[in-house]
Amino acid sequence: MKIISNTQNLIHYKVLLQVEEAVHKFMKKKGFLRVDLPVLSPSLIPESYLEVFETEYRYLDKRQKLYLTPSPELFMKRLLSEGIGNIYYLGKAFRNSEPSSSLHSSEFTILEFYKINADYLDLAKEVLELLQFILNSLRRHSGESRFDRGDFGQARVTIQNQTSFSKWEKFTVAEAFEKFAGISEKELFDKKTFINKAKEKGYRVSGFSYEDIWSQIYTAEVEQKLGTRGFPTLIYDYPKEFAALAKLNPDDRTAQRFEFYIQGVELGDCYTELSDWKQQQSRFKQEADKRKKMKKINHPIDKGMTTALKYGLPDCAGIAIGLERLAMIFANVQSIQQIKLITVET
Amino acid sequence: MHTNAGNLKKGDFIHYQNAIWQLQKAEFYSPGKGSALMKTRIKNLLSAKNIDYTFKTNETVEVAQIDSIEMQFLYKDGQNLHFMNERSYQQYQIPLSVVGDAADFFQEGKKYFVYLQKDNPLTVRPPLSVKLKVVATEAGIKGDRVTGAKKPAKLETGVEVQVPLFVKVGDTVSVNPETGEYVERVKT
Repeated sequence: MKIISNTQNLIHYKVLLQVEEAVHKFMKKKGFLRVDLPVLSPSLIPESYLEVFETEYRYLDKRQKLYLTPSPELFMKRLLSEGIGNIYYLGKAFRNSEPSSSLHSSEFTILEFYKINADYLDLAKEVLELLQFILNSLRRHSGESRFDRGDFGQARVTIQNQTSFSKWEKFTVAEAFEKFAGISEKELFDKKTFINKAKEKGYRVSGFSYEDIWSQIYTAEVEQKLGTRGFPTLIYDYPKEFAALAKLNPDDRTAQRFEFYIQGVELGDCYTELSDWKQQQSRFKQEADKRKKMKKINHPIDKGMTTALKYGLPDCAGIAIGLERLAMIFANVQSIQQIKLITVET
Repeated sequence: MHTNAGNLKKGDFIHYQNAIWQLQKAEFYSPGKGSALMKTRIKNLLSAKNIDYTFKTNETVEVAQIDSIEMQFLYKDGQNLHFMNERSYQQYQIPLSVVGDAADFFQEGKKYFVYLQKDNPLTVRPPLSVKLKVVATEAGIKGDRVTGAKKPAKLETGVEVQVPLFVKVGDTVSVNPETGEYVERVKT
């Protein structure tokens, strides 16, 4: 691990600041309350595809394990069930076991917001408005009527202008697999057929789960094609295996989850939140079992959150957006490292 | 020897689909659903063809034991490039068919990295750019102002490339060996 100073990135870093400022303004305008939350917690939500950072609180003989939060979700859901209303968090989140790469950093800035009485597709509209709002504010800041260039004092930076935020390009997950990977809906949802199809395509399948292979094909064949035709792409209705905390669709095999992409980069992940606490508890258990099987850090499950859900999480949808990735799009750079002044790299 | 694809890094050699490949790029990626992945660009050592492949980080990959040894280029004949290991004085041949068009750009007496598997030469790393002297070309035609007009020029290794009209015999030019294209005239 090393510490790298990147002051040559100042102009891109300033785009990141502008994006951050625009987010705060947009959220305020839309009536979302900003919540400031801890990043250290004694318990977490069990999520099988994330690894966490573990640390320890010490006082005299007292020892208590603490974990850096991989997302602010557990705190936000408590607040939601207590009736706080629409809220957002813009701050740090931490993910272990993710080596530095152009799209990953163990510590990153997450924008997470929840809207009451909304579902995932309602929230998609808000996201589109947010993207347009950020673009407009960058345009204003550049002091030009044309929006393709922003002047940040020292040098000029090209503001992303290949994508219009006037509408979504929309695909269900099934449509995207059909279009980009040549896998039909029938093959996608039948695990055995899907695995055979993957094998035919030359993927290693022996010893891997449906989720692992799905993820590999999605990344290799689908993802890079998303958000590349002039509009951001909304990809929605994931197989239920990929939605630990999302509400299921009436078809009982897909969940109300979407992700959105610009230029092949995944920027955000949204769910209609599961509010049935019994279902929630059973999914927590499944996720915790998977973590154990995968020999991941065995952290306590946050019981307070389950209790909170028991008293009632209002109908709501929530989304998490990676702020650095979002700023990368507007700053027109290819890696997180290019918009940061200091990075710690693995 | 085996390793998890998650450990791969640029420069490593692997066995994949009955061929040996060198990693040109290896980048971690976690889609947040299913297995984490290693996105790679791999170059087939024999055909020099690049492909992109996404491995699961926990997928086992067979590492190829390849030695890369700097050797002196001796000469080229109709079938092979001939190299000599300056420590052992042992000579090695690499077929022209393996090296492809880049074979025309090796300079006698210069050193190149030869890739060997158990002392068996597989291929040689072509130079990234080469600077070669022009030994023959027609004199520039005065008054011809067509932008980008080119003429053939024979270089010291015997290869012929298309160069701009202002290039003269005795000039040194830089050429991209992979494409065989003229890059620029260099001052000597």
